[in-house]
Amino acid sequence: MLKMFSPGLWIVLLLAVGSSVLVALLPVQPRPGMQMWLFDLNHAKIANVIAADWNRDHPNDPVSVNLLTGDALQTRMMSGFYSNTPVADLIEVERTMVGQVFAGPVKDVGFMDLTGRLEKENLRAGINEPSFSPWTTRGHIFGLPHDVHPVMLMYRADLVEAAGIDVSKIETWADYFRLLRPLMVDLDGDGRIDRYLLNASPTSIYYHEVLLLQAGGGMFDEANHPTLNQAINVEVIARLVTWYTGPTHVASEVPVGGAAAARLYREGYVIGLLAPDFVTGSIRESLPDMAGKFKLMPLPAWEHGGRRTSVLGGTMLGITKASAHPEAAWAFAKALYLSPVMAKRLYEVAGIVSPIKANWKASFYDAPVPYFCGQPVGRMYLNLAPDVPRRPSSPYYAQGQQLFNTAIMQLCSYADEHKVYDEQGLMPEARRLLDQAQHELEQQMNRNTFLQADAP
Amino acid sequence: MKNSRLHSSWTPWLFLAPFLLTFGAFIAWPAVRSLMLSFEQTFGPRTTAFVGLANFRFLIHDPYFWTAVWNTLLFTIAAVLVQIPAALGLALLLNRSDLRGRRFFRLVFFAPSVVGLAFVAIIFSMLFEKRTGLINGTLHSLFPAWDPDFPWLDQYVMPSLILAQLWLSAGFYMVYFLAALQTVPSELLDAANIDGASAWQRFRHVTVPEIRPVLNLITLLVVIGSFQFFELPYLLYHETYGNGPENKALSIVTYLYQTGFRSGDLGYASAIGWVLTLVLVGLALLQRQLTKREEA
Repeated sequence: MLKMFSPGLWIVLLLAVGSSVLVALLPVQPRPGMQMWLFDLNHAKIANVIAADWNRDHPNDPVSVNLLTGDALQTRMMSGFYSNTPVADLIEVERTMVGQVFAGPVKDVGFMDLTGRLEKENLRAGINEPSFSPWTTRGHIFGLPHDVHPVMLMYRADLVEAAGIDVSKIETWADYFRLLRPLMVDLDGDGRIDRYLLNASPTSIYYHEVLLLQAGGGMFDEANHPTLNQAINVEVIARLVTWYTGPTHVASEVPVGGAAAARLYREGYVIGLLAPDFVTGSIRESLPDMAGKFKLMPLPAWEHGGRRTSVLGGTMLGITKASAHPEAAWAFAKALYLSPVMAKRLYEVAGIVSPIKANWKASFYDAPVPYFCGQPVGRMYLNLAPDVPRRPSSPYYAQGQQLFNTAIMQLCSYADEHKVYDEQGLMPEARRLLDQAQHELEQQMNRNTFLQADAP
Repeated sequence: MKNSRLHSSWTPWLFLAPFLLTFGAFIAWPAVRSLMLSFEQTFGPRTTAFVGLANFRFLIHDPYFWTAVWNTLLFTIAAVLVQIPAALGLALLLNRSDLRGRRFFRLVFFAPSVVGLAFVAIIFSMLFEKRTGLINGTLHSLFPAWDPDFPWLDQYVMPSLILAQLWLSAGFYMVYFLAALQTVPSELLDAANIDGASAWQRFRHVTVPEIRPVLNLITLLVVIGSFQFFELPYLLYHETYGNGPENKALSIVTYLYQTGFRSGDLGYASAIGWVLTLVLVGLALLQRQLTKREEA
C-alpha cells in the first residue's frame, strides 16, 4: 500500500488531510455581544459614540459597530436571510435595499416584526408617521425609521438675487420657471445655453419619484397595488417632459458627486436642485468654498395651494430574527434612534432632521446656518416634515421605478420625434406609455405566488 | 494477487477522485440543482414553490427578457463586426517589419486590456460626461457647433458600450492575430507577390486561410464573451441597476443577475440561465459544423 504512491504524493495527501482536520477542529469563536452593520460613515461615527456609552452601561450586552459598503451589506444581509449564514443583530437598511427584503412571504422577512412593540410601548405616535411607510409591508413594521428626509429647493441665491428676482413670489413650478427664465443665458457666446433652472434630466430616476410624490401621484397604492397609470402620473410625466425637451427646455443634470459636479455647481450650470435634508450636509462638505451662495426654499407646488415638499431616500434600523439578543438589540435600537444626542449629532454632521417628534423642539434646529446665508435650515425642514408624502414599500418598488422612468424617456423620444413640446399634446402618448408600464408591472407581480398568498 | 487486483481496480478512481469531486461539487450538482430550480419560484434557496413550466411560459412573453435578448444580440453582432476587424487591422499594422516603434505600439494597444472592466467603465463614464467629459469637450473645442451637452450615455447607449468594449478588447485579440500572422509562411506571400497578386489578394487568399483557425477561435470567444455581457453596462448604468435608459443596456446576464440576486427569484433566473446555455451550446455547435465544413 505504501509503495502504491510516491513519498511526495503521501506528503501532499497528509498535508491535505491534516490541514482539513485542523480547520474542522478549530473552535469557532462567537463574537461577544451584538453586532451592528451600517453603510454610512456619518451614521457609523454617531453610532460609535452612542455604542461606547451603551457598552459602559451594559457590559454583558456590548455592541460593536461595523461599517460596510452598501452593496456588501446588502449581499451579506440577503445571504444571511436566504440561507441562515451569520448576520448582525442590528442592520441599517437603505430605502432601495428594502424591496428585496420584503419580496417573499411575510413570515420569511429576516427582520423582527416591530409593530406590536411600537404599539405596546407607545412609540408609534411619537414618531413622524410617514417615516414608517417605507419599512412597512402587508401591515407589519420591520424597522425603526432613522429620518424624515423632507425635500426643499436649494438655489443659487447669489445669482438669483443679483438678477433682482424675488423668490417669495414663487408658489408653483410654473412661477419658478417663469420668474427665473432670464437666468438661462449663453455665457460663452457659442449660441448655446450655459445655465439651466433645475438639476434634472430624463434619466434622473430618483428625482422623478420626488416630483411624482409631491404632485400626489405614486407608483403603488396603500395596499401595494401598482398605480403607474393613474391620472395624476400621466399629467406629471407630460409636464416633466416639457421641462426636458424642446428648444427652450429648462432642466439639465449635474452628475452625482465628483470633480465634474463640483465644477458645474461652481459655474452655476444649474440654478436650483431638489435637496433632501442630507444634501445640505453633503454639499457643505464637498463645496466648502460655496458658503453664502446657496439658499433653501420650500419646493414650488404643482398647483396653487399644493404640497410644498416631498421625500427622498431613507434608512431604517432592523433587528434580525437570527439575533441571539433580541431584547438587548431592541433596547440598543431605542437608545440609538430615540436619543436626543443622536438627533443633535445627525443634524450637525449630516444635516438630517430626526423623525422623533420629541426632538423637534430642540433649539439647535433654530440656529442660523452661515453656509446657507444664515437660514435656520433645520427648522425649515422640520416645518415641512409632517407634510412629507407616504411611500408604500412594495417589493416591486425598483421595477416600478424603472418602468416609470422608461415611460418618461420614451415620452421624451416621442416629443423630439413629433416636435410636440406642450403638456396637453403629450398627454395621450403619456397615458398610452403608462398603461403599458402598468400592464408590465402587473404581469411581474401576478407571478409572485408568495405575495398572492399573503395578500390581505 | 488479490491485493494487486484491488489496487488495479481502485487506482484509476483514486486518481480521478480529485477531478470528480470538484466537478461534481462545483459543476454537475449546481447544474442539476439549477435545472430543478427552473421549475420552482423561490425567495432565496429555502422558500420555494413548484410552478412546473410556468417560468419558461412567462419567459416567452416577458418583454424584459426579449429586450435583453435583442440588446445582447445587437452587442454580439457589433462586437464581431467591429472588434475582430479592428483587432486584425491593428495586428496587420503592427506585423509590418518596416514600422518603427512596433513594440511600443503593441504595448500601447494591449495596455487597456490590463486595466479591467471596472476601470474601463469608470474611465468611459467620465469621458462621456455631458458638459465636462473629454469627448464632448474636445469636440466642442474643435467644432463650436458641437453640443457640449451631447447625451452619449443617455441616447447612444449601445454605441457607447461598443466603443468602451472595443477600447478594452481590441488590443487583447490583436495579440492572438499577431501570433497567427507570424506563422504565415513568408514563402507563400513571396510566391503570391511574384505571381502578381495585389496586397488585398495576398491577404484574402494567403493570409486569411493561414490564420483561419485563430480567426474561428476568436470569433467564438467574442460571441461567447458578448453573450455574457454584464459588467460594463452594470457599472456604467449602476443607477438603473444596469438597465440603462429605456432598458437599452439590459443584457441577458444582467437580467438573470437582477432576477436571481436582486429579486431573490432563483427559479426564474435559472430558467433564463438554461435558455442562455442552450443558445451558447447551439452557437458553439454551429461554429464547429462550419469549421468542419470549411476544413473538408
